[in-house]
Amino acid sequence: MILSFFDKAGAGVLKGMDTAGDFAVLSGRTFAAIFKRPFDGANLMRQFQAVGINSLPVVLLTSLAVSMVFAVQLAYGFKQFQAGGLAAGVEGLAVVRELAPVITGLMLSGRVGSAMAAELGTMQVTEQIDALECLATDPIHYLFVPRFLAAAIMLPLLTAVSIVIGYWGGYLVLVGVEGQSAFVYGNEFYKLLAARDIRIALTKALVFGMIIALVGCWKGYRTSGGAEGVGNAPTSSVVTSSLWILISDFFLTKLLLV
Amino acid sequence: MSVIEVVNLSKAFGPKVVLSNVNLRVEEGESLVVLGGSGTGKTVLLRNIMGLLTPDSGHVAVEGKIIAQLSRDELFEVRQSIGMCFQMAALFDSMTVFENVAFGLRRHQKMNEAQIQARVEECLSMVGMKGTDKLKPAELSGGMKRRVGFARAIALKPKILLFDEPTTGLDPVMTDVIGRVILDLKHELGVTTITITHDLKSAFEIADRIALIFRGECIACQTPAEFKVNPHPVVQQFLRGDADGPFLQDPPPPKRKEARA
Repeated sequence: MILSFFDKAGAGVLKGMDTAGDFAVLSGRTFAAIFKRPFDGANLMRQFQAVGINSLPVVLLTSLAVSMVFAVQLAYGFKQFQAGGLAAGVEGLAVVRELAPVITGLMLSGRVGSAMAAELGTMQVTEQIDALECLATDPIHYLFVPRFLAAAIMLPLLTAVSIVIGYWGGYLVLVGVEGQSAFVYGNEFYKLLAARDIRIALTKALVFGMIIALVGCWKGYRTSGGAEGVGNAPTSSVVTSSLWILISDFFLTKLLLV
Repeated sequence: MSVIEVVNLSKAFGPKVVLSNVNLRVEEGESLVVLGGSGTGKTVLLRNIMGLLTPDSGHVAVEGKIIAQLSRDELFEVRQSIGMCFQMAALFDSMTVFENVAFGLRRHQKMNEAQIQARVEECLSMVGMKGTDKLKPAELSGGMKRRVGFARAIALKPKILLFDEPTTGLDPVMTDVIGRVILDLKHELGVTTITITHDLKSAFEIADRIALIFRGECIACQTPAEFKVNPHPVVQQFLRGDADGPFLQDPPPPKRKEARA
């Protein structure tokens, strides 16, 4: 009874280590392959398009919705002790430091990470990845690197867009609905912020982008078991990368704010 | 020296032993056909030759280089001289036929666009698929996909061609067409080939030598004429295509007619 418990626990630990090791090795190979020849510009551009341009509408809408609802809550909360004027400053703090990078990261893990897992998963089960190998092409270099670069570059850019949208979302509610002065909102929004907050937000976005691409590609690459496997890969990629986005967000905030 | 040497190759997946102690040699310009029932590890043999799988014991050597011991860069260099044709063709479905065939050329050869165009057309006409270059793989039938797969495999002018069940799932006429394409390629390019198949008719057409894999072991490897008169009961059963005999571990119940008799 006890022995079988230890047996199971040990097997679980070993499996966990195995998975973590596999992810680490593939990530390492991705980093190493970034500067390898040949450089495939067209492929990279396609990924920029898929990750960046095509994600704009989703990022626009979610950033607007989240920043507006957040402004409503802040206005309501601060009004209870006649401090409605603080809402704009806190809105700015929240949008720049947390909401923009995290919302962008979570949306892209759903939109882009899952697509990567599904695409690579299908390629894996239809032997297209083996075909790449047989044509003397490293799948890590051909498939992982452009997706990784696109996500790592596009996430900070989309986060910047999200911050701008967040500003106008708050503006709509606090100035448009609550009737605060537009001039005061414009000043207050940045009052609690410093340049390093933007830097922190973009650093977070960069890390989230790497997580999304690496987890999505890794889950797809390790797909096995036909249609069911291809079905599981995106789900599991979204869950894993969302989890790691939130966990790493805590540690990044803690480390970078010191 | 043989072009491909398979020495004491064993491979198991968990408790299931797929290949045990397989020995094969393929000489330059020779075409070897590997026969065997479904799930006897023929594909695993090819994957070991390509370096897609690592043997548990024994080794595969291509032109004297032991595949499992090569670094990834060296392995890719060896793979450029091998063309692999997959069972389901494994065409890149996001690309057109032209881009599929041009893939290896674009990545490994310093050719300009006109040279690539010419080479792709040459390869497509060799397999009788001229004029399909703008189609997507989804618009092709099974036999056409296989032939485009062949064109992609020969684009880099490999010295070795591996065919994984090139005729499975095709009608008899298309099977004959594929068999002819393989023979043509062999004569035009003078390549060394290993073909895996269940189809006895095309096997005897293509082969210089025939090997039979039975329960993970290679039980025969000889010329077609010798193979036909091999007294081994498994060989004879395979040639007859009969369910009764030592070939199956648990043979199905005897046919109804015989049961009644």
